[in-house]
Amino acid sequence: MERENKAPDAAGDSAVSTRVHARPPIWRNISVIKWVAQLAALVAVLALFWLLGSEAAKNFSASGISFGWDWLSDPFGVNIREGIDVNPDSGARALVVGAVNTLRVAISGIFAATILGTVVGVARLSRNWIVNRLATVYIEIIRNIPLLVQIFFWSALTIGLSDLVEDDVGTHLFKASNKGFGLAWLFPSTGFWPWLLIVIVGLVAAKFVAAWRTRLMEETGKEAYSLTYAFGTVALFGLVGWFIHPILGFLSGVWDAIGDFIGGLPSSTVSVVIAAAGLLGAAWWIRQFFESRRTPAGFGKMTDDDIFRIVFAGLVGLGVALVGFALGGASIETPGGDVLTVAELIRNGFSNGFHWFADKFTGDSGGPISFSQANVEVRGAGFTQFGTDGIIITPPFFAVWVGVTLYTAAFIAEIVRGGILAVSKGQTEAAQAVGLKRSQYLRLIILPQAFRIILPPMGNQYLNLAKNTSLGLAVAFADIVAVGFTAINQTGQSLPVVLVWMAFFVTMSLIISGIVNYYNRKLKLVER
Amino acid sequence: MKTENAKDIIVCDGVKKWFGDFQALKGVTTTVKEQEVVVIIGPSGSGKSTLIRCINRLEAHQEGSIIVDGIELTNDLRNIEKIRSEVGMVFQQFNLFPHLTVLDNITLAPLWVRKNPRADAEQVGMELLERVGIPEQAKKYPGQLSGGQQQRVAIARALAMKPKVMLFDEPTSALDPEMIKEVLDVMKELALSGMTMIVVTHEMGFAREVADRVLFFDYGTIVEDGTPEHFFTNPQHDRTKLFLSQIL
Repeated sequence: MERENKAPDAAGDSAVSTRVHARPPIWRNISVIKWVAQLAALVAVLALFWLLGSEAAKNFSASGISFGWDWLSDPFGVNIREGIDVNPDSGARALVVGAVNTLRVAISGIFAATILGTVVGVARLSRNWIVNRLATVYIEIIRNIPLLVQIFFWSALTIGLSDLVEDDVGTHLFKASNKGFGLAWLFPSTGFWPWLLIVIVGLVAAKFVAAWRTRLMEETGKEAYSLTYAFGTVALFGLVGWFIHPILGFLSGVWDAIGDFIGGLPSSTVSVVIAAAGLLGAAWWIRQFFESRRTPAGFGKMTDDDIFRIVFAGLVGLGVALVGFALGGASIETPGGDVLTVAELIRNGFSNGFHWFADKFTGDSGGPISFSQANVEVRGAGFTQFGTDGIIITPPFFAVWVGVTLYTAAFIAEIVRGGILAVSKGQTEAAQAVGLKRSQYLRLIILPQAFRIILPPMGNQYLNLAKNTSLGLAVAFADIVAVGFTAINQTGQSLPVVLVWMAFFVTMSLIISGIVNYYNRKLKLVER
Repeated sequence: MKTENAKDIIVCDGVKKWFGDFQALKGVTTTVKEQEVVVIIGPSGSGKSTLIRCINRLEAHQEGSIIVDGIELTNDLRNIEKIRSEVGMVFQQFNLFPHLTVLDNITLAPLWVRKNPRADAEQVGMELLERVGIPEQAKKYPGQLSGGQQQRVAIARALAMKPKVMLFDEPTSALDPEMIKEVLDVMKELALSGMTMIVVTHEMGFAREVADRVLFFDYGTIVEDGTPEHFFTNPQHDRTKLFLSQIL
């Protein structure tokens, strides 16, 4: 653009080049400066990591601590208080149990905090004085007390509950005690997986049914209840599937065959697939990028940033491909003592997955879902305890979950309130002027626009909630941080454990913000 | 425009309105007949916008009565909703719904308030866009249009409810000079087609050319009420003469 500027008629300042298409010297050329700066930043970051890594390695070897990952496959040797596997056979397995506990509290907390926060936020705008004051009091109390103190408070509350006694032995729909809360719950049963498959087919069918009803409505102009039909379709599949799911038992053989086929593939297939995914992914991204820069006049000029991004995408794709092939060579000792390459491990993982799935298609006529109540039993002499049925919410889980949910909901409430207030008054007036009712314009005009404003700060709160679950350490909640601490105490490998923590939290946060950003892009207003 | 023996469609009788201590309307009494085009002129803060905002209850008047098409505006929600669906309004700041396409802006109320079938509503919407001269913008979003185009969409949105009365609250005040004409042309066409209109504006040319009647407002009362010719050539009150000498 600037290059096409006409030179001024009068002789300009001699320091400013006035010739048309004049090429500036290198140190003033914006393109060159940008490229050099990008590369310099990359080199500086890599150099910093290398420096820190080599320094750490030197110090570790000087103090006699060997920095290693053997503890991942070595026996863990300590029981975990709660989780999918209370007696893990390796360090890695223990960390997975901790990670699942963290995810359980984070995901359920995000849902609960969103619902509670939205309700409180709307209540804060209510014209009803009592509702309005209650919401204000809640927000002011909760957000002004440190989260750690609140978690201790909820923990202390549960400890104050009465103990389970012999009179409590039996089943309960709900039972509160200082050993936690027992709840009746629905669990997948023998026929669950075949039934789920039928329901998924029902969901796909519902999509077509809804599209058909919508088309019908637009053609005839009569209400065609597309949503009702869609729900009806899913319900019909679920109901019929409840009784006919045993006939899917034959699929067991199909899954086994697929599992056998994958298990029989050479391990290099894994490398090829990963490499192909990397290269194709990069190619697809670059193609998309070109398409997005296309103008009616053809491809526009690429800026230096654009070219840098294309080169970077290509390099990442190439890197993934190289890693894919490197996996064929890297070998790991499994807890069982076998030495396998990573590629073989991945292949076996997929193969086992299909065999596991095959086992679920037994053709057994049992119901897909079973209802199970919490039970209290006596173990040993007078030692009353919850059994394995129903869902048991332990006191630490309860304290962390209630703590992060209430705390984050207070902030979400303020975000929701702000979002609704930020939609201009003119929107309400325009909606009223065309005759929409209050409930209609809230749903059709105000909330869609408020949601757009609310979403980005909401994403921040989700990240805060997920990271704040690590405070569970204070009440001995067996999350990934607590399990990692145990691992450090057992092995002295503090740096590797910390690296695992960081990798876990970064991954979780990136996934959350990825989801939020996706919706944010979808909701963005179209402007010039 | 106005025909003889037309029936009264809006009757205001002693309308008073306070904002806190400030009295915006001090007893306004006037009648608008069917197919009449009334232009309201006056200095800012004189209560002209407040009056037309009272007519569709965006503001509630505190004393006096307003009767629109035989229905009195009271606290009865059903009356308010009925009147709002019979009275269209165009705002200074357009107030289009930015998250909906131009066509969806127009069809929203016919679909949800009138419960018309979508196909019919869209057909009417396209006809209205044709009428205001921008059918090619139907699938765009308000943010992609110029101010003049947005205001024309806002007029189409109000017309989609087939209102008996159209209220215009300074429809050209937020527009660039070259866009004012395209909006005024649409409004002239509308007036010639026989729509009852109340227009608050500073466009004296429009008032002179299109209005059946000009009301001059000052300090919450109607100071001058007459034909454009009477208003511009032979005003009776000193306040009107001063105002005209300042703007003409």
